[in-house]
Amino acid sequence: MIAEALTGIDGQRLDPAVLDGKAVLVVNVASKCGLTPQYEALERLQKRYADAGFTVLGVPCNQFAGQEPGTPEEIQQFCSATYGVSFPMTEKLEVNGRHQHPLYQRLTATPDADGDAGEVEWNFEKFLISPAGEVIARFRPQVEPEDDRVTRAIDSALP
Amino acid sequence: MAGATIKATEVRLGDRLRARSGTELTVTRIDDRFFGRPDMLAFVEDSEQQWFKMPAPRDGDVELVRRADSTD
Repeated sequence: MIAEALTGIDGQRLDPAVLDGKAVLVVNVASKCGLTPQYEALERLQKRYADAGFTVLGVPCNQFAGQEPGTPEEIQQFCSATYGVSFPMTEKLEVNGRHQHPLYQRLTATPDADGDAGEVEWNFEKFLISPAGEVIARFRPQVEPEDDRVTRAIDSALP
Repeated sequence: MAGATIKATEVRLGDRLRARSGTELTVTRIDDRFFGRPDMLAFVEDSEQQWFKMPAPRDGDVELVRRADSTD
């Protein structure tokens, strides 16, 4: 359901099997951000929950201070070599603004814990999508991937 | 090449800035806080051309490409 409109970082259409029927944590990522070390915790989440029907989905985005300037190959190389990322990544997307990707049109309509919806605030904002495709939680960038609030939400969303 | 700098608090709507990444933005919105921090501002271009956000310390300088009222 989610994958239908997505292209992977390799330029090929994202295989629907990678996401369908799983709980998905969608995260807009950047390689040159102070929050970039969150990749480590995201990869730990991936390893911890992958066999239980969960995946992280990384979404490179260059709209925040230009902190994701690289080519798809450079981004892939950085993620793989620096953080051993094994979760799927999309092509670079626009998450805010008039050319916002349709996935983010859905995601940003979802409020966070304070009831605030709207624009993605910064790199490493997180949205949890249920296996049925419903957006069920939103965590702002400062919420670490392994924060109890995130893992509790993942636990309750697993198929 | 680095251009002129101005205080972050002196930026006005319509000013053209250059981020450290080299990306330029024409400011269409100034957020009074960034990450909830009163010591930080965020400059946003939300236009047909691009959506781009650049935070800055309130007491810091930013690189100015062109003033809003410039005729250059």
